[in-house]
Amino acid sequence: MSFIKRYLLPRLLQYFLVIFVGITVVFIVPRLTPVDPVQEMINTITQRGAYMDPEAIEQLRQSMKEMYGLEGTVFSQYISLWRRLIIGDFGPSLSQFPTPVVKLIGISLPWTLGLMLVTTLLSWIIGNILGGIAGYFSSSRWSAAIERFMMVLRPIPYYIFALILLLVFGYVIPIFPIAGGTSIGLKIQFSWKVIADLLRHAILPALSMILLGMAGWFQTMRLVMSNIVREDYVMYARAGGLRDTKIAFNYVIKNAMLPQVTGLALSLGQIFGGAMVTEMVFSYPGIGGLLYTAINAGDYNLIMGITMFSILGIATGALLVDLLYPLFDPRIRYR
Amino acid sequence: MKLRTIIALLCVIALFGFTLAGCGGQQETGKEPSQEPGEKPAEEPGGKPAETGDVSRSETFIVDVLGGRVTTPENFNVWAQTWRTPDRGVQQLMLEPLWIVEYVTGEVINALAAEGPEYNEDFTKMVVKLRQGMYWSDGVEFTADDIVFDVELVKATEGMSYHTEFNTYVDKVYAEDKYTVVFEFKEGNSRFHTFFVDRWGGFRPFPKHIFEEVDDPVSFEFNPPISSGPYVLKDYDPGGYWTRWTKREDWQKTPTGALYGEPVPKEVVFYYYGNPEKKVLAQAQHEIDLIEVTSETLKAILEKSDTSRAYRKEYPYFVNVDPCITGISLNADIEPYNNKDVRWALTLAIDIVEELGTSFDGMATMGCLAVPPTPVYLEWYYKPMEEWLRSFELDIEVDGQKFKPYDPEATKRLTEYIKSRGYELPSEDEEELKQIFGYGWWKYAPDVAEKLLERNGFKRDNSGKWLLPDGSPWKIHMVTGTNPSNIGYRHVFAVQQAWKKFGIEVEVETTENAATLTQHGDFDATGTWPALEPWGGHPDMYRTLRSWHSKFYKPTGEPNVGHVSRWHHPDMDKVVDELEGLDWDDPKVIENGIEGLKIAVREMPSIQISGYPGMVSFDEQYWTNFPGAENPYCQPYHHWPNLKYMLPFLKPTGN
Amino acid sequence: MAVLRELLRDGKFTFAFTVMSILIILAILSFFSPYDMSIWNVVPRDMPPSAEYILGTNSKGQDVFWEMTVAIKNSLIMAVIAAFFSRLIAIAVGLLAGFKGGMTDRTLMSINDSFIVLPVLPILILLGAILKERLNMIVLGLILAIFGWAWDARLIRSQTLSLREREFTNTAMLSGQKVYELIFKEYLPFVIPIVSATAINNMFWAVGMEVTMAILGLSNLTIPTLGTMMHWAISYQAMLLGYWWWIATPVVVSVLLFVSLYLLSVSVSQYLDPRTRIQRIGTAKVVK
Repeated sequence: MSFIKRYLLPRLLQYFLVIFVGITVVFIVPRLTPVDPVQEMINTITQRGAYMDPEAIEQLRQSMKEMYGLEGTVFSQYISLWRRLIIGDFGPSLSQFPTPVVKLIGISLPWTLGLMLVTTLLSWIIGNILGGIAGYFSSSRWSAAIERFMMVLRPIPYYIFALILLLVFGYVIPIFPIAGGTSIGLKIQFSWKVIADLLRHAILPALSMILLGMAGWFQTMRLVMSNIVREDYVMYARAGGLRDTKIAFNYVIKNAMLPQVTGLALSLGQIFGGAMVTEMVFSYPGIGGLLYTAINAGDYNLIMGITMFSILGIATGALLVDLLYPLFDPRIRYR
Repeated sequence: MKLRTIIALLCVIALFGFTLAGCGGQQETGKEPSQEPGEKPAEEPGGKPAETGDVSRSETFIVDVLGGRVTTPENFNVWAQTWRTPDRGVQQLMLEPLWIVEYVTGEVINALAAEGPEYNEDFTKMVVKLRQGMYWSDGVEFTADDIVFDVELVKATEGMSYHTEFNTYVDKVYAEDKYTVVFEFKEGNSRFHTFFVDRWGGFRPFPKHIFEEVDDPVSFEFNPPISSGPYVLKDYDPGGYWTRWTKREDWQKTPTGALYGEPVPKEVVFYYYGNPEKKVLAQAQHEIDLIEVTSETLKAILEKSDTSRAYRKEYPYFVNVDPCITGISLNADIEPYNNKDVRWALTLAIDIVEELGTSFDGMATMGCLAVPPTPVYLEWYYKPMEEWLRSFELDIEVDGQKFKPYDPEATKRLTEYIKSRGYELPSEDEEELKQIFGYGWWKYAPDVAEKLLERNGFKRDNSGKWLLPDGSPWKIHMVTGTNPSNIGYRHVFAVQQAWKKFGIEVEVETTENAATLTQHGDFDATGTWPALEPWGGHPDMYRTLRSWHSKFYKPTGEPNVGHVSRWHHPDMDKVVDELEGLDWDDPKVIENGIEGLKIAVREMPSIQISGYPGMVSFDEQYWTNFPGAENPYCQPYHHWPNLKYMLPFLKPTGN
Repeated sequence: MAVLRELLRDGKFTFAFTVMSILIILAILSFFSPYDMSIWNVVPRDMPPSAEYILGTNSKGQDVFWEMTVAIKNSLIMAVIAAFFSRLIAIAVGLLAGFKGGMTDRTLMSINDSFIVLPVLPILILLGAILKERLNMIVLGLILAIFGWAWDARLIRSQTLSLREREFTNTAMLSGQKVYELIFKEYLPFVIPIVSATAINNMFWAVGMEVTMAILGLSNLTIPTLGTMMHWAISYQAMLLGYWWWIATPVVVSVLLFVSLYLLSVSVSQYLDPRTRIQRIGTAKVVK
């Protein structure tokens, strides 16, 4: 009981507070920018040559403002935002009026989830295993070799790295498609052919994210690991004649995992924000590209809808980490 | 340790270098004759041919989507007042308008309409005769009832495109017979029919028999869509990157079929590959037949693929028929740009040759008037006005003589530049060069610009930088979008260079919100089109000139409705008022347009620089007989609605 | 100086130190650039590297070598500002929250988590739109510092939490050691590896963000940075047209920059850790 009262409740309170602050910031910041969603829409329609009567533009602007729910003060818009969010209504998208935001997110989210869940987990697992081994046997020759490889791999600017992957595997050795999530004419259904096609399209974006992501995890893990190896208790265990593997599993990995698990939980939460640059380089359908369009069009509702997912995801990830910490590190008590 | 680290580093760098060299060096290896004529390669040299299901690649025409990824791929209702990426085939293949502009030949084509509109004396009534024997793709005939229903539905439904326009003007609309529609207007409007003229937008009829069953025509998805054009939807990417269309069995019953015969490709796919570099890779692998790119990207494609060709087969490659005039808009509503002398000084501080060299490596048609320098407009306006331009004087004396700013030698100077860059001129004939590169521009006269500024109290400080009349430093705030392929973006950076050279501090802001900033007047200069495009295929200047009318003027800070320069002048008002009273086919329209253009030259509300130098790349691997410069039977872009009229002329190569 | 001499025994450090010094010298060289980088067409376009133009010229008619020196300067300034200020905040918040616990912890972690949940790239894009032309390298560095500390503060806090539970904390407290002494003497050495690793991560992240924003065209494109150099090279298709010197320069420079930063952080934190120091000196002697 006292656990709930002393730890869980305040932590939950903090959770909701964080979400509240996050949503408020996401509400305010776009409205501080000069972008005017009505103006952006009118421009999108007219800039390529469609003719709009100057007389009509004036009236159109007014009626669009009303339809978009942009009448009234910012404060009243803020109140109505919460009124809508509480019943789970994100409202219509402004740049795709009147399509509901939820529908747009529904179209893009599966792609993002599929791609990012796999890449985040894989890069975490591979990076940590390699980093752990390299850190534990830090004096061995191949550990130094991997380290050097990661060291040079990691700082390659992502965009350039992705572009090079694309050139190499999409053009010089054309084994993977260079754009899109499906081949022309593919109908989404459950069959091996479809799955193979989806995978073929996802491999390059996934590879780019796994390789660079892995290098990041590797470096942190290696540092933490090589530090722990020198801890007194490991020294003692070694001196006491325990087998290396036993030390590694019982003492070292458990301790080294702590910061890494935090990192994983938070990156899993971030999945909902999408991978904007990946999606742009590989023309992969997903929520990141959608968010970029939304920002540029000043589509407040869509920005709110997408970021809301990502805010919830990360906040929940952090909450879970806090609740699960003691399971990983017995020295920590709930306080 | 140290040595090994360095070796490891060098390896990675070398790998990187090889990759680049591999891509850059592809030009050599790629040039090898990879396909013998007559021999059918089992696999394309660049990779697998795109999978197109049961129809083979050689019967499929694949083009780019200018509007990018479709965020609502299942929605084909383009009549909602929003953006539904109509250029993924909806406007090119699925829908036919009443009329459509063909800017290459300079005509307005009757599509679903049988002939041009007929107005009464005071333009309060318009009669439209429809083409007979046209059918929707579900077998229902297209009739006057469709138009009447459409206009009434749009009038009644807020949130549909043209709702405001139709409500403002249309009093009554009715069918006189099965193929005749009559519009009665609330007030006289001599250009009402232009709402139905397709020029990358315009009202295109939708089927009554579908929409009358619908409760909310705004949120209605119109899926599967019913076509009035020669193709119907086959399928689309749930991720929004491609849309596939297949030829109608009854293509004869569409305006395309009736006017030009059977479209050749069985299927047309609209595929968005993403960034320009990916379009290059896709075309080098023959996965996309028609794309629009930047000049650098075009260069890359031509190096990588022997089957690719540009609009013009040799330098200068660019599309010189695009009905759009580009350049720099000044905010003529604020200090110091509200001063005509300042605007003229800024113009004369630009060296047109250097500008076009920096922005497009000389590949553009210069244009000094507020009308695009395409072949038809050169004939309609530039040629008749040349004498006047040559004798036009500014109100400032140089060496005791009034200064004549027009420089008919500019074309020659540009061709000198082109030769100095090592390119071969497309022709030696001066007249032909003028057709391609333009008739002339303003002189590069920084000395005169200096005089113009000085007489308005501007001074240079000790380091040669310009100061405003009040003594504070002069800093020009330029705004443009973030897309380097945008023509406005190129002009902004090139002009920034010119003005810096002249001694003015210039800051360029690249932002995704350029549209809002310019429309709200939060800029000094921008790459937004300096003058709205005219119709493109018709000499009437109504569309361009009317937006300069003072009745649309809004002070800076308020959203703008006309030109972003916010400039207005009583003389221009008079021209526009007169034009409103002219039928658009009245021969006096050109005279009126010339009057308007002269005022725009005297006042220089914005700086016109060049036509829109579109860069298209056709891949001749599967299709030939594209409308290139040597055979301009139709506009060359994939995103214009006229694409459907190009399809009957394509020839399969048999590959 | 003795410290440096000792550090220089480490091959990694020597390499990193050399590369870093070269980069800094290049950055300083930028002040002697013969060209104003805001002016185009000062040299012939698209020239490959030669004796006259060491790293060739770009399609804007600028000398890539001199463009690079200015870019290194600007990117370094931005990254250092971002990393320095965000480290200050992260250490302060992480140690305080982890050590104090209770209400302080909860309040600080609420603020911290609010920063963590905010989607940074979209917010940066939006802030870029608000700041407009005022967005220079120093401002960008500060903004990135504001968004770059939260994650690491959490890591430091969790490390502190676990240290807090250890024997020596209790011993120290019981033996009357002052709190700040405890933190600086006992905790900081454990935290420093995290700080130095995250500082590198943070600089990496800051430059990465700048590159991303530049490639999207959203930073101030008239200021040469590693990011804007890549932006121009990419948008002028340097990669496909084979102007490798233009695109490879910023990429190689940023790889070198980070490799040397990484090695610096590794060897400095090893140096700071007394246990490995003995080890290292020992092995070094054996090798020699």
